[in-house]
Amino acid sequence: MIVQLLLSVITYGSLFAVITLALNLQYARGGMINFGIVAYLAAGAYAYAIVTQEPPSGLDQYLFGFDGPWWAGMIAAALAALLFALVTGWPTLRLRGEYLALTTFAFAEVFHSLLLNERRIGNGSVGLSNVERPVPEVAGIAIDESGFFAVAALALMLVTLLVFHRLLASPYGRVLDAIRDDELAASTVGKRVGRLRLQVFLISAVPVGLAGALYAMITTLASPSLFTAEVTFFVWIALILGGERTILGAVLGTFGLVLFEELSRAVPFESVRAAQVAASVQHVLTGLLFIALLRWRPGGGPKGDRS
Amino acid sequence: MLLLQYLVTGIVTGCFLILATIGFSLTRRVEGFLNIAHAELLGVSAFTTWFLNTSGGWPIVIAALAGIVFTAVTGLFIGRVVYDPIRSRGPAVLLITSVGVAYVIGGIIDALVGTGIRTLDIGLPTTYRVAGVRITDYQLIVVALAAATSLSLALFLSRTRTGLAIRAMSANPALAASRGVDVRVTSRATWLLASGLAGLAGVMLAVVATLSTDIAFHQILQILAVAILAGLGSLFTVIYAGLAIGIAMDVSVYWIPAGYRPLIAFAVVIVVLVFRPEGLARRGSSR
Amino acid sequence: MTALLEARGLIKRFGGLRAVGGEEGLSFAVGAGELVGLIGPNGAGKSTTFNLISGALAPDAGQVLFRGEDITGARPESVAGRGIARTYQTPRAFESLSVLDNVVLGADSAGERLRHAFSSGWRAEEERARAYAVEQLARVGLSDRLHQRVSDLSGGELRMLEVARQLVRDPKLLLLDEPTAGVDPALQEALAGILVELRRGGMTLLVVEHNLRFLLRLADTVLVLTDGELLARGSPAEIQSDARVVRAYLGDEHAA
Repeated sequence: MIVQLLLSVITYGSLFAVITLALNLQYARGGMINFGIVAYLAAGAYAYAIVTQEPPSGLDQYLFGFDGPWWAGMIAAALAALLFALVTGWPTLRLRGEYLALTTFAFAEVFHSLLLNERRIGNGSVGLSNVERPVPEVAGIAIDESGFFAVAALALMLVTLLVFHRLLASPYGRVLDAIRDDELAASTVGKRVGRLRLQVFLISAVPVGLAGALYAMITTLASPSLFTAEVTFFVWIALILGGERTILGAVLGTFGLVLFEELSRAVPFESVRAAQVAASVQHVLTGLLFIALLRWRPGGGPKGDRS
Repeated sequence: MLLLQYLVTGIVTGCFLILATIGFSLTRRVEGFLNIAHAELLGVSAFTTWFLNTSGGWPIVIAALAGIVFTAVTGLFIGRVVYDPIRSRGPAVLLITSVGVAYVIGGIIDALVGTGIRTLDIGLPTTYRVAGVRITDYQLIVVALAAATSLSLALFLSRTRTGLAIRAMSANPALAASRGVDVRVTSRATWLLASGLAGLAGVMLAVVATLSTDIAFHQILQILAVAILAGLGSLFTVIYAGLAIGIAMDVSVYWIPAGYRPLIAFAVVIVVLVFRPEGLARRGSSR
Repeated sequence: MTALLEARGLIKRFGGLRAVGGEEGLSFAVGAGELVGLIGPNGAGKSTTFNLISGALAPDAGQVLFRGEDITGARPESVAGRGIARTYQTPRAFESLSVLDNVVLGADSAGERLRHAFSSGWRAEEERARAYAVEQLARVGLSDRLHQRVSDLSGGELRMLEVARQLVRDPKLLLLDEPTAGVDPALQEALAGILVELRRGGMTLLVVEHNLRFLLRLADTVLVLTDGELLARGSPAEIQSDARVVRAYLGDEHAA
């Protein structure tokens, strides 16, 4: 049981940590508030599902299924997230702070609504089930699936972490820091602020798309109910929990939050109602912790808006 | 004539949105940030009223008043305890914090009420038919209340001392303070007023809509749309914006599947923010 | 000789108040290689004029021409790319970067491109930029502060840092907004020396200053701005003996 719990934490912790890392890049380094990041995850998951599943038959209402191999699905996932970030980022990046937060939120909700209502994309609320999951094997011997996917998720997270770290330590990272510190001063020395912001948006979208594909593989399901604003707020809380400035903080905050959730899910409750209350209480506690951290963490948080 | 029916329903929805959003816009204008938790206050009011009405057996009007007062006080409490200490951090941080507050309120409501649909202990609505259009007495109350509230608010803001103080503060807090406006008292009055308005909207929601614990979340998106279309911080354009979005949402059902109804609100948000961030307000009139 | 910088009929309003430009707008020209001073009482619109030139603000009417090309309303980064550099009335700095990095950033090293983030081909560029930054920092007297935090600097030092950041770009036109404010006299002398050097090197300078003693020694031409309009233009000597200028500066004191 402990092993299951551990694997679960590693798997989902890693997957969500990828999203938190993306947020860290966008917010702490890029100064952009993205309240719609779940849409990248959804784009990746659905792209993967659509590319790898069989063409529709029987009761299926979706239109496309290409029966492609898993790696094609992953490429599609990355591209889908990238495209979504491009389409929604390009007109909005000159918006600041709260306005950007609202627009990204709105875009994610539009996407969610489309997935829910347009049956031709992904079977609407039913979603796409039986998503292709590559059977892991080494030299012809099948490996334990949950172990395999835990490692895969962990690997994705580590690669993302390394890439982002390298990026931020380079001179490019210096420019990002400058833009976040003082946008006007940065543009005064010729830095193309809008373009750089878009680049950050796009770079951070790719790993999230891949995480979406993995997510679909692991759950073998792509359904709108998996990709609600709850996910966005979950990773935002993870980000703040870990201290949003550092990459390590983003990872630790996410693992901590996932552990908390998994532990409370593991507690046997006597009734459905008791479990619900516990979940609600957990929500409340998380929210309180969130508020407290935003207020009291030393040197923490973004500085106030400078106009 | 179906279109006309949708138009009428749209006006009702619009009036509800006006009630729900006006407090939100007030908060934005005076306190300077977008309070996402405002929508949760609708839930607080709705469920407090429901509880007093069903379990407590209170007559609906009394229960509603109690619900509204309770919500107003709750809003004030949160404003002073959570938001005031961090005001200097800027609107972005306050926005993010309000998400946390929404989480907490939502969690408390979930824990106390549980899932499932609740209904108020009031009579079934009476439907009137006017010129082929159906409208219920409860819906008429929503419209009447929206009108009455808008009028009262307008009078309050232009005739009373507190109201004028609120207007002065929203334009320029530092200047207002130097002119003798008690910033703290005015701020508290704003929290009470804005939360009370949310309370009123919550009661309306309980009366005309189905009451479940996630209604608040669905409302915030529409409230945001109305506030943004009105121009953040503008109060009177909320009337036009509310009606516009309410009508747009309900009339759209004529052409597109009902599931897309909330989409109208989001689409409005995107279009407005990208092309004309100040919304319907005159340029330079809102912060 | 065509002017390096030309302002034609510039008008800028803030909510009904005209900050720059009278009936016909503000017009003036700065010739290549000149050191032009821009003076005037507080609120005259000097910084706003700078903002209109550098792209921080777009004018409501009028044009800004640089080397004959229309740059009206262009974005700051575009203006900077053409060779115009400026400092701000309140010095701006990047707080999360060290003093040295603050200046290196101005050098626009190719290493900052995204594609070089993962390669090592940029090292030579970076070295070059760093060396040049160190030179400029030495020029403004900040050699011993290279690796310190920006928050450790005094107001005057921050101003010098900003100057260094602009110098590293080898601009054709340098706009300085009150460069001596909060700067101690010794450093002011050094700054005057730098400005003379820059002029000799062919740079064109437009300097806003309240410190008239500092400015009038150095400037070729002086523009006097009041209430957003050009009151007078002439050599330092002419300006100092112009009764209107004296009145504009001292008028409030006499009236009160």
